[in-house]
Amino acid sequence: MSNQSKKKQNAYSVGARKKAFPWIVPFASVRLTLTLLSFSMILIFVATLEQVRIGIRGAQAEYFESFYGIWYYPEQFWGGSFLSMVPLPIPGGYLLGGLLIINLIAAFITRFQWSGKKMGIQIIHLGIILLLIGQMTTQAIQVESRMQINKGESSDYIERFHGVELAITDVTDANRSKVVSIPEQLLTPGNTLRVPGFPFKVRVQSFGPNCNFDFKESADQRSEITRVVNQGIGASANLSLTPMDEDFSNDAANFGYLVFQLINGSEEMGTWLAVAHPAGNDRWKFIHAKLEGMSFQPLRHQGKLWGMELRSIREYLPYSIELVKIENEFYQGTDIPHNFESHVNLNLESGQKRKALVYMNTPLRHRGKTFYQYQMNKAADYTVFQVIRNPSWLVPYIACILLSVGLLWQFSFHLIYFLRKQSKVSG
Amino acid sequence: MPFHIPKIYITGTVKLLLFPLFCFVSCTEEAEIQTYYIAPEYTGPVVAWKLPPTWGENPELSGPMAGSFHVKTNSGPQGRIGVMPFREAVSTLAITNMFGMELGYEKFTEDTLPHVLTTKTVGQKKFEWIHLTEKNNPNDPKMALLAVFRQQDETWLFPFVANAALINQEMDSFISFLDSTTVRAGEKIIRAPRPISAAPTSKPSGSPTWDAPDHWVVGQASSVRIASYSVSDENGNELDFSITSFPGDVGGLQSNVNRWLTQIELPKAESLESSPYLSPYKIDEKDAYLLLAENTEKTIYGALLFGKSRSWFFKIMGDTTLAKVEKENFLNLLSSVCFHDH
Repeated sequence: MSNQSKKKQNAYSVGARKKAFPWIVPFASVRLTLTLLSFSMILIFVATLEQVRIGIRGAQAEYFESFYGIWYYPEQFWGGSFLSMVPLPIPGGYLLGGLLIINLIAAFITRFQWSGKKMGIQIIHLGIILLLIGQMTTQAIQVESRMQINKGESSDYIERFHGVELAITDVTDANRSKVVSIPEQLLTPGNTLRVPGFPFKVRVQSFGPNCNFDFKESADQRSEITRVVNQGIGASANLSLTPMDEDFSNDAANFGYLVFQLINGSEEMGTWLAVAHPAGNDRWKFIHAKLEGMSFQPLRHQGKLWGMELRSIREYLPYSIELVKIENEFYQGTDIPHNFESHVNLNLESGQKRKALVYMNTPLRHRGKTFYQYQMNKAADYTVFQVIRNPSWLVPYIACILLSVGLLWQFSFHLIYFLRKQSKVSG
Repeated sequence: MPFHIPKIYITGTVKLLLFPLFCFVSCTEEAEIQTYYIAPEYTGPVVAWKLPPTWGENPELSGPMAGSFHVKTNSGPQGRIGVMPFREAVSTLAITNMFGMELGYEKFTEDTLPHVLTTKTVGQKKFEWIHLTEKNNPNDPKMALLAVFRQQDETWLFPFVANAALINQEMDSFISFLDSTTVRAGEKIIRAPRPISAAPTSKPSGSPTWDAPDHWVVGQASSVRIASYSVSDENGNELDFSITSFPGDVGGLQSNVNRWLTQIELPKAESLESSPYLSPYKIDEKDAYLLLAENTEKTIYGALLFGKSRSWFFKIMGDTTLAKVEKENFLNLLSSVCFHDH
């Protein structure tokens, strides 16, 4: 071996790498790995317990999609009457995941031997790092929405499962409608918003993710939040509402609400109430005829007609999906479905039409979005797709391939070594 | 000798370390107000206008009006200006007679109509322009200026009823108002939004509850039309059911019965006692009247209840064949009405 190649080998030795990156060494500790894995187990245990109380979505948001969560020991457990009063901070998914990634990368750099003999181990760990990064990226950028289509109709928009927006639509033009949407993050009580292209300022009075509502005989009987409402459906129907916490359970139906004022210059034009129906505002008519107008609270000004509504955050697509036929099959003699099918036409932006069949575990993929069969109502002739946008969807696949290659490499290496040893012994 | 690490190796490692942070920072969505254009989705009617500065909006809309205005004068609101939509093409003769009779004109015919009818182009719109002046009051005649706009199968009537001097004074405002209008019938009942400065209307106090048959389709309600249902059969026959309520007795029993009878082209009743259509009735133990009137094509079944401060009208009207089928459902609905006051 020449001096040059020896030097090169030394440069990549564990000792040389430790010298080059001394500040990384503490992060590569096996103790840290074990501590983080132990905390991960605690996190999973706590989140599983909490799932019963706040639902999957709530547990996910509180413990996994956060840097830390606060847990209260269950009252019904041993010593619960006392311990349940103590808030216990639990490291969240982002913190543990992030630290595990750093720990693995640090170990990769300063602890692992970079040799052919250990190549399989390195590839396996690289796969694990990718899995962790892929999961965190997915949590950060994946968007889940729904698309509901009535049979014979088509839809060109999707709506988020969580989160609402105030949409103000100018419908005066027969050929196109202008939409101004204000996301819920800006609907903070006390906020006054100047809305581009809309003649009035919007002042937020109250906003909440969920409410209970009721009709009252007279305006005075309404709750304090809604007593100020003097325009639109809220006023004409004498709607009274009580704010509620957001429900994270699986069958949650959150009715987001917004009480807002419109201001023309310095003149107050009135106060409106808007409530978002979780299944889409076209469903209001099925609750009560008086609420049908909640999907379009009109406002006429200077020759223009605007419609206002609070609705699930909506995203319009450059293509549409038409529902041609729906089918559902049940296990014989039961009401348990074993298959939902939606026959659809994908109307592409180019004007072309593509037929597709969407059924359980066989989604339709188009332009970075995946449409899964989610719900179906054959009696009402509509289907609902769960729409996922996840640019990092390939990462887990690549990670799994790396893990497989690493395992294959490592086992093959040991197998060949073993076979050679055996042949030498027998020889 | 100092230890050198290849440059590419350092940058690659740093990138790897920073990647998760980069993902979190760069991929978080920033909340902002968005403006965009979409293909029209709204299927309701579009009725919009620019109001002249000398005009005001009437808070309560009556009858089929989609918009109602007055002229602001020193002596208070004067004149009546409106926007009245018709779903179908209505003849100019019918519209002219609707107002002409009120102003003392004989019934117009195809021959006499051209005397009061011209056409006028305002901006991009072409109007039929009908000028009617009260016959019996030469000193201060009342005038009806009717602008009729036709668009596909829709007819839009813009009546301006006031004394002649006020109409002449406000002519420019009326024309600029007509020019500013955007009108488009939708699939839903045409009903303009209330002016935003108006006080809210509420359901009349003491409103009753009722049980409607399951197959009746719920329609749009309003401050006057408390409930609205439609019924249809496979032959396309239709019935319209409504519950309306007004303060006072709105003209009393006779005028309301006659109004209903004329709606199905039956002669007015001279005396209610001898009317074959009317009979006493009880609604929720209250004294009321039941009207059952029909001709070969149209039928009207109605109940009239005159309360202490409000009147209640329950009416189903439409095709005679279907009405006979739905008669029992209508009577069942009446017997289910409950005012919850006893």
